[in-house]
Amino acid sequence: MKGYRKYFTKKIVWFLITLFVAMVLNFVLPRLMPSDPVAAITGKMAGQTTDTAAVQEIYSRFEEEFGTNKPMIVQFLIFLRNLFKGDLGTSFSQYPRKVSDIISSSIGWTLALQIPAIIVGWIIGNVLGAVAAYKKKGWDKIVMPVTMFISNIPAFGSAVILLYLFAVKWKVAPVAGGYAFDMIPNFSWAFVKSVIEHYQLPFWSIVLISIGGQAIGMRSMSIYELNADYVKYSRFLGIRDGKIVGYVFRNAMLPQVTGLAMSIGGSVSGALVAEIIFSYPGIGSTMYAAVTAADYPLISACTLIITIMVLIATLSLDIIYGFIDPRVKAAQFDA
Amino acid sequence: MSNTLKNLLHSPKFMVGFILFIAILLTILIYPLFNPGNPLEMIGVGTFAKPGTYISLYDATSSQKETLKIANAEEKRIAAALSDEDRVKMLEWLSAYGVDVTEVDASNTDAILELWMANYNPDASIKGFTKSETRNFRLIQNRITELMSADTLIIYEEGAEDSKSKIVKTDYVNLNAIANVKTLPLGTDNFGRDVLKELVSAAGTSIIIGLIAGSVATVIGLTLGLLAGYLGGNADEIIMFITTVFTVIPGFVLLILISYSLGQDQRGPTIVAIVIGCTSWTWTARSVRSQVISLRNRDHVNLSKLSGHSLGRIILTDILPYIASYVVMAFILQVSSGILSEAQLSLLGLGPKTTTTPTLGLMMNWAMLYSAHTNGSWWAYFPVILTIACISFSLNLMNTGMDQVFNPALRD
Amino acid sequence: MGKVMLEVKNLKTKYITRFGEDVYSVDGVSLKIEEGKSLGVAGESGCGKSTLALSMMGYYFPPLHYISGDIIIDGQNISGMDPDKVRTTVLGSEIAYIPQAAMNALNPTMKIIRFLEDVIHAHEPKATKAEIRERAEERFADLGLGKEVLDRHAVELSGGMKQRTVIAVSTILSPKVLIADEPSSALDVTSQKMVIKMMKEMMEKGYIRSMMFITHELPLLYNVTDDIAVMYAGQFVEYGTAKEMVFDPLHPYSHGLMGSILVPEEGTRGMNLTAIPGTPPNLKRPPAGCRFAERCKYATPECFYTAPAEKMFGENSTRMYRCLMSEEALRAKYAEEGGASK
Repeated sequence: MKGYRKYFTKKIVWFLITLFVAMVLNFVLPRLMPSDPVAAITGKMAGQTTDTAAVQEIYSRFEEEFGTNKPMIVQFLIFLRNLFKGDLGTSFSQYPRKVSDIISSSIGWTLALQIPAIIVGWIIGNVLGAVAAYKKKGWDKIVMPVTMFISNIPAFGSAVILLYLFAVKWKVAPVAGGYAFDMIPNFSWAFVKSVIEHYQLPFWSIVLISIGGQAIGMRSMSIYELNADYVKYSRFLGIRDGKIVGYVFRNAMLPQVTGLAMSIGGSVSGALVAEIIFSYPGIGSTMYAAVTAADYPLISACTLIITIMVLIATLSLDIIYGFIDPRVKAAQFDA
Repeated sequence: MSNTLKNLLHSPKFMVGFILFIAILLTILIYPLFNPGNPLEMIGVGTFAKPGTYISLYDATSSQKETLKIANAEEKRIAAALSDEDRVKMLEWLSAYGVDVTEVDASNTDAILELWMANYNPDASIKGFTKSETRNFRLIQNRITELMSADTLIIYEEGAEDSKSKIVKTDYVNLNAIANVKTLPLGTDNFGRDVLKELVSAAGTSIIIGLIAGSVATVIGLTLGLLAGYLGGNADEIIMFITTVFTVIPGFVLLILISYSLGQDQRGPTIVAIVIGCTSWTWTARSVRSQVISLRNRDHVNLSKLSGHSLGRIILTDILPYIASYVVMAFILQVSSGILSEAQLSLLGLGPKTTTTPTLGLMMNWAMLYSAHTNGSWWAYFPVILTIACISFSLNLMNTGMDQVFNPALRD
Repeated sequence: MGKVMLEVKNLKTKYITRFGEDVYSVDGVSLKIEEGKSLGVAGESGCGKSTLALSMMGYYFPPLHYISGDIIIDGQNISGMDPDKVRTTVLGSEIAYIPQAAMNALNPTMKIIRFLEDVIHAHEPKATKAEIRERAEERFADLGLGKEVLDRHAVELSGGMKQRTVIAVSTILSPKVLIADEPSSALDVTSQKMVIKMMKEMMEKGYIRSMMFITHELPLLYNVTDDIAVMYAGQFVEYGTAKEMVFDPLHPYSHGLMGSILVPEEGTRGMNLTAIPGTPPNLKRPPAGCRFAERCKYATPECFYTAPAEKMFGENSTRMYRCLMSEEALRAKYAEEGGASK
């Protein structure tokens, strides 16, 4: 148990440090802009609206929130304080809506879409990779190159292709949105059905994105494990091949949990872009709208939320991994 | 070394990837020779012209005509004039009217037309069709009768009362006699640009972005990895701390923040490439470090240390040559992920600002902005996706091939 | 003469590389081990000794392939037997194997007792978990390994401990023949000694009834095994008791090998310790003549095209060597050289 505690403490400390660095970056990067950042940021936005009175109001309000007239460290403390209060500022493009309000209405969609999709993609990818490693002949020669090619189609690419095929050509799925545009969210059966229909394409396109990388990783891992000495040894003790394959896949699969933790940042960015293609009402689309409207507070909040989501996902995976792989415990005793 | 090269040449994966990549490069270099000019020139006034060969109608009418009597010309003409939807509608009407159409295929113009001509009755009132649909059936009927009856198209000169020239259905002109013929294998995009020309140029720019991003990432990653691995101790701790932090914070997020902070005017393709490189060096640093650590205590390195060689010399002569293959592999992957990052960034609207050179990501962004994906203009985005996939597929294949040669455990 | 536990007759096997080339790494090996006896096999790396160990299990999977020959364990010929029958009735219970890299021989994420359950179930499907634990605890205690080891994962054990665990696991079914492929080469001296002691103990207690011990360290064999065979390029070149082989090697290769290992006497310091220059032949295309000819300093032109057969010699003709030269001629050469160096 001592080993575990050390491992988890280490992981949690890392999480906090990284979170802090992420916040600092989120704070510092826009302030590194040459000239007056408030003028630059609001200037971008001002180019898109003609209501000068509104621009003026936004400008003064933002100046106050951004706090450029105070020393950097005070600005940072204000930033942190607001952050912990859940105050992420006021949106430019949807003025005077609060950013935290916009984020909270889209984060649920993103979580409900991405978590299941990434997990399903991970499972399918691992099974395919394991099978490809074991049944070398046909699978390896045909399925693997195809999987490899598919995994090289960028996330937005497979999303667009799915959209074209299913929504435009065959018309079996809706083109855009999280639910039919003429509906108001409620818990009626019609609405749930609409949500499920709209869920399919984004879901499967994210699954597709995650499969390729995982399958390839799992295949190399499995091939490595299949050549491990314990395989030969177990065979020479008369253990059935089926059982040995079980050992191999368990051992290959466990590090894939860490693999997922390492790659989750990449998968999430791909998945966010896929959201844009389907105009899915999640963080990805919100961020796209924010960039298009030069809505700085919203962009900043989106990047921060994405980072926090990724950090939490990574931490959870690390903790799960610590429990399921005895190698982690042993490594802690060695250290 | 020569043995390694031989093994690489024997690796089918490496060779397929290599040949594919070279083929893409050659296309990028050679195609502009056949189709020179500005890739962003707007040749079309409308948006999304379909792929195909366009002939000048003006030239065609004023060319020398020949009369040719070709048996199924009429049928082809009507077939071309009826869209797939029209056919389906016609079959719907027929079946509602009580004609057995179960045997008729929607692509069989002959059969549909025959049944239609025999049965269509504009005055028949059939339940189940809306008014606009009924009107639509009449329009279809009108079009067909027009095509079948009118023999002559008459072209009037502006202001003149009498006809200038007549075109009869049996008039043909020789394609070679038409001065202006333009083939657009991939049609035009939303701005009326030649997609193929744009695509070739964009692929070139994107590969350059990938190469710059890959070089930047490799240089940063290699330097940090070498220092951390070779020096060890506090230097290692500090460098690994930074690396771990930046591994967990998604590079994409940093990319967005930096790109947005830079502002559009600063964002040329080179700057974007450098920013991409600066946010993606972490795993190169990690893998270089672990390689260096395994090399650090080898005999030849110790010998060099004892001989009093400088740090730079030891790294250059005793360490770099041994990790060169890993660095090359990491570089290849960095190039491919750089191309992808540019595309994702551009899709978000944070791509390079450019008025002279397109990139693959910008093409994708334009296509999405103008809804190419929902209005069926596949040629505006599908070739872009395919190009990105092919480039990164070829790079990844090369990488896998090299991996199998250098890490025999992965051999199959 | 005791009962013959293991007899191998003219065994030939090959590897197929990933480029589809055949490598004849065991090319006509014959040997006999009697009950209670042990045989050591020595040779340079790449001579085929590890492949010989794998080949003797009678259970082949790519890239190793069986060509011909017989493997007879306690009177039962296992070559040509159905692989699945070999697996359930021979492997582990009749003939057991200790791999070269015992460090990685145990599945890292599995408790030792779970693995033992799988091993025993492969042969005795009806054994209950409680029975297996009882048996395992008894055997582990008897071999001086605490029974708490059973509930550990392989990754939690130290190197020497892992090695001894592997030996205990391999012999849990009390096999008639144990084949150990360099079981001690990766260990420190103390652990090495413990491993050797353990193997001797197992023989005394009857947990194993004969043993073949493969190594590249000849001095080790002298202390451990009764007989020694020297292997070169897929074949045995000489065969005799440990004492004879160490103090009176006859084949030029074994002679050179012993010379390279024994501590050089005064005056010979500075001599190249690898007494035999050159590299072993490529077994993709074995030479037509004597395989050692290229490196042999006594080779005559005839050696390059006539392959020598196995010749028996010594008291009761119990020793074997494989050379074209006669016993007397070789001894004369060695005497001449010995004289010159002194």
